[in-house]
Amino acid sequence: MSKEAILEELAQAVVNCKADLSKAAAEKALAEGINPVEAINEGLVKGMSVIGDKYAAHQVYLPQVLVAAHSMYAGLDILLPAIPKEALADAKKAATVVVEGDVHDIGKNIVKTMLTAGGYIVNDLGKDVAPSAIASTVKDEGIDILCMSTLMTPTMDNMKATIECLKEDGTRPSVTITIGGPPTSPSFAEEIGADHRDNNAQDCVNWLKG
Amino acid sequence: MIEMVAPMTPYERAIAAIQNEPIDELTASPLALALCRRLMPEKVTYREWATNPTLCAESFVKGVEHWKLPYTVTLIDLSITASMLGAHVRMDTENTPFVDDHIIHSMEDYEKIRCPDITKGRTGNLIEMNRELAPKIKGKSFNIAFLEGPLLTLTQAGGAERVFMDMFTDPAPVHKALEQTTQLCLNTCEKIAETGAEGFCWDYLWGNYSCLGDPEYAEFEGDKYAKKCNEKTRELGMGLGIHNCADLPHLDTQVKKFGVDMYSMAYYPLIPGSPTATEVIEGGYADKCLMMGNIDPQMFVRSSVEQITETTKNLCQEVKTALCKRGLNGRYCISSGCEVPPDLETKLENVTAVMDATHKYGAF
Repeated sequence: MSKEAILEELAQAVVNCKADLSKAAAEKALAEGINPVEAINEGLVKGMSVIGDKYAAHQVYLPQVLVAAHSMYAGLDILLPAIPKEALADAKKAATVVVEGDVHDIGKNIVKTMLTAGGYIVNDLGKDVAPSAIASTVKDEGIDILCMSTLMTPTMDNMKATIECLKEDGTRPSVTITIGGPPTSPSFAEEIGADHRDNNAQDCVNWLKG
Repeated sequence: MIEMVAPMTPYERAIAAIQNEPIDELTASPLALALCRRLMPEKVTYREWATNPTLCAESFVKGVEHWKLPYTVTLIDLSITASMLGAHVRMDTENTPFVDDHIIHSMEDYEKIRCPDITKGRTGNLIEMNRELAPKIKGKSFNIAFLEGPLLTLTQAGGAERVFMDMFTDPAPVHKALEQTTQLCLNTCEKIAETGAEGFCWDYLWGNYSCLGDPEYAEFEGDKYAKKCNEKTRELGMGLGIHNCADLPHLDTQVKKFGVDMYSMAYYPLIPGSPTATEVIEGGYADKCLMMGNIDPQMFVRSSVEQITETTKNLCQEVKTALCKRGLNGRYCISSGCEVPPDLETKLENVTAVMDATHKYGAF
């Protein structure tokens, strides 16, 4: 099978939401000696971009996006460990997190997916995470981009508390901070000292890349 | 043509607005819910408010007395029905209770869901709260009970991401679970109807184009499960309301097809396609029912009295113009589209400012 055909299999596995085919195509790519970075970018990410565009155009909806993302991760689980560490030296590191007091993570998970599809190395810190724990991870792991979200109003101030922690330990200047979630707004982002707030994951990634 | 009418009581105004009868001024009813606990003479924490039916009912009464609210929507939080299915709810002292441990971990778990005894637990508390509240606000405020709909109940209990993926890959077990959550909703609705609630508002949050398309929404809520809930509400003699604070709601389905009496929705100015109050009225939705929106809830926390007064004034003028053009009376209620943040930092005076500004600028 040609390289192009295998890459197309990877993309189609994501578009068609087939995790088992994604895994199989990823294994085939490695067996055929295809560069794993190329397999990710020209296969899995290409497929996820198709889904992302269709989602933005309201041609597919959240269930399909989530299952497509699951398929992408099935391929990534095979391909990522095969990438030599030096090949990732230039990739930017992002962290995604739902701040303390909140566990609504569906939006955060979509941001994680789109960041991964955008070529970032994503460390998902999970949900209900304390400001100090977020700040420590950002510092210890040299995170370049921090994406925080919350669905609930009472927990919004934990975004601010996190930024305060980052300022205190001197990390703030080296990290780009984006926030999201229905109660947040650009003015709130400005008020707490974040760099950006967006409505959706795709636009957020576009802003980061822009 | 809008007629001049004599001053009305909040309750008379509430009824007239729903029925599209001539009205003296626009109704205003920000969704001040847990915020009402702060009107109590003694400090009531969020946890106490959410778990003590008497305190909760008393606080709603205080809200009606303090703000002369024409509508009282008895939303506590969105984890009540999920808790009845066994989902663990975390109750912080001063935070909205939420599910922190879901019950769906395999496809078999959907089949294990059974409609519980709704007279106990948190639905039991909700019923009791409505029972205590109804006689106290009768004739003063139109009393609208509130409950999560069947699909929201399942996603709250099972985890939205998991349920959405299973809807796509293996829908049959999801439907079996939805039969049970629907029964839970119907049983609770029946018991609440006995308390004297005049309206019943369902939260059909997932009917929005950021999450589900028309076919998916029809299959997993609209055509079958919500239909049963809507019919039951009507059969029990209550006004039918829907609350949907998501962006891009399925207005054609939820307003026109469902045939509701009241529809509470939010407005997201930054999201392309989110309809303004004018667009909602011009789109014919206020022809069908009382539309309720759309002051940004965050304004109640972060704005000054002057700013929120100006926003309310502008919304009143926008709404009155659009209603007049459409030949409607007071079929738009100045509200918050989503709960007024129940935080301790929320400014009670901003709720007052919305009520006062609507009285001043919403008069016909």
